[in-house]
Amino acid sequence: MTEASGRTGGLLTKAARLLGRAVREPLVQFLAAGLVIFGVNDLIHGPDRGPPGESITVSQGQVQQIAQSYRLLAGRLPSKAELDALVDDFVTEEVDYREAVAMGLDANDTIVRRRMRQKLEFLLEDADASSEPTEADLKAWLDAHASQYRLPERRAFRQILASGDKRGEAAPSAAADMLKQLRAGADPSRLGDPSMLPAAMPLTTEQGVEALFGDAFAHDLFAHEGDGWFGPVASPFGDHLVMQTSREPGRSASVADVHDRLRNDWIEDRRNQRRIAFQSKLRKRYQVRIDWPEPYASQSAAPDATPAGTTLGTAAGPVESVAPLSPGGGLPEE
Amino acid sequence: MSRRKFIVRPGLASVAVAALMLAACSAKPGDDAKTADQAANPPAAPADARPQPNPLKNAYFGDLHLHTRNSFDAYIFNVRASPDDAYTYAKGGTIKHAMGFDLHMDTGPLDFLAVTDHSEYLGVLQSINTPGTEFSKVPYAKDLFSSDTAQVNKAFRRFADSIGEGKRMAEFSDMAVTRSAWQDEVESAQRNNEPGKFTSFIAYEFTSAPEGRNLHRNVIFSGDKAPDMPFSELDSQNPEDLWRWMDQRRAEGIEALAIPHNSNGSDGTMFMRTMWDGKPIDKAYADLRIRNEPLVEVTQVKGQSETTPLLSPNDEFAGFEVMDWYIGTAKKITKFQGGYVRDALKTGLEIQDKIGVNPYKMGMVGASDSHNAAGPYEENNYFSKIGVMDGEPDRRGSVPPPNYKSWDDYKVPDGISRFSSWGSAGLTGVWAEENTRASLYSAMRRKETFATTGPRIRVRFFAGYGLKGTELTSDAGVKAAYAGGVPMGGDLVGKATGSPDFLVMAMRDTHSAPLQRVQIVKGWTDASGKAFEKVYDVACSDGGKVDPKTQRCPDNGASVDLSTCAFSQDKGDAELAGAWTDPDFDPKQNAFYYARVLENPTCRWSTWDAIRAHVEPSPHLEKTIQERAYTSPIWFIPTKAG
Repeated sequence: MTEASGRTGGLLTKAARLLGRAVREPLVQFLAAGLVIFGVNDLIHGPDRGPPGESITVSQGQVQQIAQSYRLLAGRLPSKAELDALVDDFVTEEVDYREAVAMGLDANDTIVRRRMRQKLEFLLEDADASSEPTEADLKAWLDAHASQYRLPERRAFRQILASGDKRGEAAPSAAADMLKQLRAGADPSRLGDPSMLPAAMPLTTEQGVEALFGDAFAHDLFAHEGDGWFGPVASPFGDHLVMQTSREPGRSASVADVHDRLRNDWIEDRRNQRRIAFQSKLRKRYQVRIDWPEPYASQSAAPDATPAGTTLGTAAGPVESVAPLSPGGGLPEE
Repeated sequence: MSRRKFIVRPGLASVAVAALMLAACSAKPGDDAKTADQAANPPAAPADARPQPNPLKNAYFGDLHLHTRNSFDAYIFNVRASPDDAYTYAKGGTIKHAMGFDLHMDTGPLDFLAVTDHSEYLGVLQSINTPGTEFSKVPYAKDLFSSDTAQVNKAFRRFADSIGEGKRMAEFSDMAVTRSAWQDEVESAQRNNEPGKFTSFIAYEFTSAPEGRNLHRNVIFSGDKAPDMPFSELDSQNPEDLWRWMDQRRAEGIEALAIPHNSNGSDGTMFMRTMWDGKPIDKAYADLRIRNEPLVEVTQVKGQSETTPLLSPNDEFAGFEVMDWYIGTAKKITKFQGGYVRDALKTGLEIQDKIGVNPYKMGMVGASDSHNAAGPYEENNYFSKIGVMDGEPDRRGSVPPPNYKSWDDYKVPDGISRFSSWGSAGLTGVWAEENTRASLYSAMRRKETFATTGPRIRVRFFAGYGLKGTELTSDAGVKAAYAGGVPMGGDLVGKATGSPDFLVMAMRDTHSAPLQRVQIVKGWTDASGKAFEKVYDVACSDGGKVDPKTQRCPDNGASVDLSTCAFSQDKGDAELAGAWTDPDFDPKQNAFYYARVLENPTCRWSTWDAIRAHVEPSPHLEKTIQERAYTSPIWFIPTKAG
């Protein structure tokens, strides 16, 4: 259990980040479409943008890059004529790009915006990717988050079953009777009904006991203090008499116990910290004003609202599917 | 929940972005190799925490078939969960579904997992969706990630067609992306392997489906050695080439086995009597095949492949989660022979009678094949299989769409009927000494495995001469059964006289329903070389006795309340044991025997969906099912007369 919850913290941030990255869907497409039509019209018929003068230089390096890209796709370098066409296309792309940016098309295109954010975040992650925690980092991280890495309590026990299959409603009283015999010194190996359940379990976590004996039995076992046989303890198999043979209290983990988890969580956290710091630094350059429409304007902030800029991804709002594919559309494989 | 928009003044941001790009670019080189060394060898758990191996073996449960965002189709289904996320879920953690909700197993962590992403275009879709990559420049990149479904379908069709034809698209001839994604898979498996506690297998899926007929296989590697690249169906659609490639890797010290799945969607082509070239199966083929394919996936989300009522008309429990569609297409299967495991086991005996080798001597495993990086193993915690496509009840046909009040006017489209025909995920049970790669893999090699349809039913199965009176309820009894007989997956060599004893014992999953009956399924060939099958009940719940005429248990009367899904508490048994001898035993006949354990009826996932949505369960779907476990067979090998 401790293991699971320890992981969950890092995971949620991760999931939130993924969602934040993936889910930015259009509300403005209608608006953008109008703008494009207006802009293109302006470009074709509209006022001249002023005297020519903006220069475009395609450097040797860029030409090389174009040639190499072609080689990756085609498996060979382009001929001079092919390269000429490719470079010309590059120039056209550059011109179109500059015009489009000048028209502000990039600002209102959700896909462009999303991709730019994605790109920024990838760059940030890459920039940070080389950092490896030292042993001291891991120790410090463990000390600061000891409860997340606590190793759960384990108990070893023996059990004797009065089978519900065999005895039905008489199982509890049969178990109670066996308990009397045990306390009078009877040999435990001669008592109880045959079962696939192990007569003795080695040191096992509560979760491990649940997997075999069920949740209620595991709970009762771990709630019990004291030596000797006790019971009956009920399970879907019937009623058990139980004796704990060994207990290992939960303890704080050492670095060696959980080295890999520490490393992964440390890296994850560092990335998050960097991102948050970067975002809030960027955010300082802007004055953000939000004109809430009705009915939101008159509503008070939701209790779970987090101040923007402090935790990434929480401002994503309702989850949308990026591409709401129609089921039955016949997408193959699976 | 409100949607927030920020009004920002552009200008300064672009400066900041440019500055950051420069800073970041300078830090970039070499990042691909960043974690390889650190990840390769996680320290083993401290010795005192690692349980002692059990020579009498424990049952471990896991999934040998699961996809993540690295699979080209999962990525299109909006799945963004990584192999690491898949392990987090399998180890009991919580991850996100593509539609934003939490995924978590209520019944505890798995013991092992193989992430089996499609080797074809592995990692490629993510690369297309990553700005600045070469692949992002393909002209249909924007369509693939458009909000217009028709555009997505049209663009994605290219991938489907390419895989259908087994030809790699020229624009993806650079394999660097796939190589890097494969590294990601391998490193993630290495990172997540915790000997004694949790086992990960390096694995992938070979996705051959000539003309849409499913010949998919999962390839599971035994240890920490992996090939540089997986062998994909873009290299060859012919599974024989895959097996030859596996033989070559084996010679280099890289051991693996392949597990065919969804033979139910193969339209009769998975277990044929002929080879790829159309000639009858010969000894070399049979040897090659069985050397590489000792196991078969008999149940998963896309239905069970044990048998169907058409092939097994005398098996009244055969009509369970039958999926009679092609894979990935709303097209009906027309040929069932050659598509189901029981039939293949029989065909195997027939071929063995002729050529001396049985190419279909396969043990049983179960899996999810989920593309969500998380398997839906529980009926009451079901989220189906392919991300946004079937992530909500009305998308999988268990609840009518919002604009329909009832089922009366709603004609379910074929595409959705296909999803409705799917069942909750299966699991593989493995009897092994300890939870390590070495121990689990060798158990898979010797076929000491069983499949379940989701619940963690434990079942032991032995056959041997003179086992009568041996009880599997004590260590001494299990030890005697191993000493005097063979476990599931084994060969029982016949003796001149006498009849073997079969011992079977099953234990319920405390998170599911009690057990109703245990059956033994027998297949055999007669003197003419023709194969037959018969199902025998061998243990009945609630004190019932098998009727020797019908070979069936009496009905135990277990029922389900369809308004709440509550099931009878006083019917069924927590454990069932059977000691059996074959009343029709003939020591001269080749035969196989496997055990099938049935639970009492419980609600199907679709009924749970409907109850939660406060609508009637679909009239087109079964309301309840009987979850079950299938053991690997034991093969009876007659001693040659004279």
